Amino acid sequence: LSSAEPRSGDAAKGPYAPDGDGELRREFVERWRDNAYGCFSSGHKFCREVCPVMQVTRNENHTPTAFHANIVAMEQGLVDAEDVADDYVHCTGCGACELRCPNTLFTGDFYRHRTRTVDVVKAMRALMVKTGNERPGWRRWVERLVEAGNEPVLGEVPVEQEHVRDWAHGLDLPEGGETIMFVDCEAAFYRTSYSRAIAQLLMKAGVDFGLMREQWCCGGPAAEMGYVDQARAFAEHNVADWRAVGARRIIAPDPHDYIAFTEDYPRYFGADYEFEIVLGVELLGDLVGEGRLALTEPVERTVTYHDPCRLNKRKGVHEAPRELLRAIPGLTFRDVDHVTQWSYCSGGGGGLPVEKPEITAEISRRRVGRAAQLDVDTLVSACPWSERPLANAGDEQGLEVMDLFELVARAAGIEVGGHARAPAATEAGR
Amino acid sequence: MSAVAFKSAIDDAVLDELRSIIGDERRLLPNLSSRVNRTRVPAPFPVHRWAEHMPDVAVLPVSAEEVAAVVRLANRRGIPVVPRAGGTGLSDGAVPLRGGILVDVKLMNQIHEIDLEDRTVTVGPGINMLKLNEQLRPHGVFYPDDPASYPCSLVGGRIGTGGWSLLGARFGHTRDLVVSMQVVLPTGEIAHVGEGGGRKLRKSSTGLTLKHLFTGHQGTLGITTEATLELAPRPELEFAAFFAFDDYMKAHRTTGALTRSGLATLAGVVLFDEWKIAYLRRDDEAYIPQPDDVRSVVAVAAYGTRGEVEAAAERIMKLGRLDDGRYLGDEISQGDWASRHDRYATPLHGRDLEGQAVPMSWHCEDAALNYSVLPRVREEWHAIVERYRREYGIFDDWGMFAYTSGAGKPWGDYLVEIDVGIWEQRLDEDGWRAWVSCKREISEVSLNHGGSITACHGATREGDAELVPREMGSSWPVALAIKRALDPNNVMNPGKQSFDEAYR
Repeated sequence: LSSAEPRSGDAAKGPYAPDGDGELRREFVERWRDNAYGCFSSGHKFCREVCPVMQVTRNENHTPTAFHANIVAMEQGLVDAEDVADDYVHCTGCGACELRCPNTLFTGDFYRHRTRTVDVVKAMRALMVKTGNERPGWRRWVERLVEAGNEPVLGEVPVEQEHVRDWAHGLDLPEGGETIMFVDCEAAFYRTSYSRAIAQLLMKAGVDFGLMREQWCCGGPAAEMGYVDQARAFAEHNVADWRAVGARRIIAPDPHDYIAFTEDYPRYFGADYEFEIVLGVELLGDLVGEGRLALTEPVERTVTYHDPCRLNKRKGVHEAPRELLRAIPGLTFRDVDHVTQWSYCSGGGGGLPVEKPEITAEISRRRVGRAAQLDVDTLVSACPWSERPLANAGDEQGLEVMDLFELVARAAGIEVGGHARAPAATEAGR
Repeated sequence: MSAVAFKSAIDDAVLDELRSIIGDERRLLPNLSSRVNRTRVPAPFPVHRWAEHMPDVAVLPVSAEEVAAVVRLANRRGIPVVPRAGGTGLSDGAVPLRGGILVDVKLMNQIHEIDLEDRTVTVGPGINMLKLNEQLRPHGVFYPDDPASYPCSLVGGRIGTGGWSLLGARFGHTRDLVVSMQVVLPTGEIAHVGEGGGRKLRKSSTGLTLKHLFTGHQGTLGITTEATLELAPRPELEFAAFFAFDDYMKAHRTTGALTRSGLATLAGVVLFDEWKIAYLRRDDEAYIPQPDDVRSVVAVAAYGTRGEVEAAAERIMKLGRLDDGRYLGDEISQGDWASRHDRYATPLHGRDLEGQAVPMSWHCEDAALNYSVLPRVREEWHAIVERYRREYGIFDDWGMFAYTSGAGKPWGDYLVEIDVGIWEQRLDEDGWRAWVSCKREISEVSLNHGGSITACHGATREGDAELVPREMGSSWPVALAIKRALDPNNVMNPGKQSFDEAYR
């Protein structure tokens, strides 16, 4: 019996085809090969059943193990960016795989090792852009982002600079100052109740803060889609705006912005990045804990809490939101522990809803389904990115989706205003 | 007589036919990355010959009917079919050796029925045990198949490989836990196999007992498309105790005493040898450091009702200490047992001949051996690995475990493993040949001591496969006759276990 021959073209590429992109591929493989090999050689695959995308598609191409194995295969000259480009779209950047990796869990501290998969996906997407293998949906999205300065958020408010502060109507927020609150695009143009809630809570607690003169997107989503140069340009604009008003402290209510400011920006600017970045939910937790913000109005709801991936899995923030929920009078809180929630996700991150909205919708459907089993009336999240797909799934299953800030604001006796959702007809992935 | 087709047999006409069967482009995957990523399992892999192991096309069926239609097509055209579930096996069951159509069952992960009256759960082969148990938990029952790969392996692969469970001494192993199943035969018929004609019966004397024929065949006799599994009551109490010894033989004797104790709640006993302890000491994060006089460890677990386990724990604490055993405390006992799936193999622990950390691939070579030969086999196995380690500089000895293996009768034989680190980045053809040769020598030792090449991983790849006829001896012609009768065209996972002999 003959052993199988590779199909024509299978092994013909050579590791680095001399077509001008070879150097880019070589750099990419050299940068990530040892990290990839830590996964490839252990072969545990414990990451798979916690991966929100894999749980839906059940396709081995979409697994963290494949994302690493492809780099080894690329080094062998078996595959190229074009062969795997669609696979790397299948990631929300939630980071569950990194936490569940036995290499990270049991030997990571000793060897100063953490399996890095989210960064690998971002790096591959950047290689896809540089080698002409970008995804059409993401390209259009980033083109519109660059044109408007903000994400092409779907909703009723036009995405234009002149409307970027519409959400704050009537709040009389100043411009500039030592402390700036950065408002996420989704929360500025779509879920405005989110921004109004946190802003009014901070005002009520006596926190002085201002808004940017001209607020662009944080650049994080573009970076996640592989558009490194564009993301960098947004970062430079925002940092220049902060400096121009003498800002020292940036409040980031949105977990995605917080990741950009604490992970992407320091990489861009190195030592020349002087800002203190404060996470909204932690600041709020402190204010309540210190008695500067009293939660006195009962909220008669039975809720469970969705751990946003970028808080829980990426940043280890899971206590502060729970403490806030427990501080709300009248609330019945049915908790699911944060480790169990490693395998939960809304599907809203990493650009997935732009390219694969049906997968995002199914991830959210399953997440809401788990909440519904707890016999609650409300699923509380703490990330506006998650709340659009979760709310869509909640509509299907008769469960309301609220943001934590909105709930806390009610308990603080604040009439929030704004809108949590656009009319159903305009619903779509962002 | 030889009837195995090659990759070239897959052409556009075959793809069109597959397309008409599957009917969904997202589940018919002829693209390169889909093939590259269904080529290997965690077993050592000849990276330099990756392309040789790729399937030509992968399909993700959602029903037994789709699987059957694909297999009928393959059988008619003489195209190899390779079933794949999690792809987490430690031998090559799910690795294509001759290309062909890879049938990936991961989408068949539904729970079809939970029957709390007759205590069964019926599932698709693509479901993972951890996920299954999450759904079973509210009902007070669980499916007790508990391998090291518990968080990632899938029911179909467990059945195909004939998996072994850490809790097998108490609850049985995969084959004991499958009550009945639906199998697509190599010629494409769908058959239901169980005890007699029963779907939820644990014992029958009608006809032949076919169920065991379809567990542990390494994907060579068919593809399981549905399985009815045992439901056990969730234990009220789990007890684990780890004992340290300054001498392997004391630990060996203690293992024997524990397994002969007659405790019905005994779920498993694990014996760590001195190489394993030394390996774990390489990183004090992974294993709380033990004094140098600790040379061996015995871990024991009991599962059951509170009254039973509390009484058993008292007996275990006495037996564990009889031969100078020292209890390692609640933290290690409970912590290490709780993390038993994750704990004991990491590529970061690899060391080259100079003791430098290098990323090594973990390989676990297993055998089924009787209690009496464990000390001798241990010496011979370590000597083999040491010889290859010194000669090639790409291997590393990560020590041995022996685990109780008899379901409900843990006293006589053991799943024995030697963990070997392999520096795959340095693997070339010479290194690969050396590994195959090392593997063969390890297996030969097992046979020389009246053991079996493998207790659960499967004897599928060279280094093992050529020894299968010798191990099977006078029953080998029977196995060949069965293979030939069920798979006349040798399309079902060809090239494994020396079954090609059936067609010569």
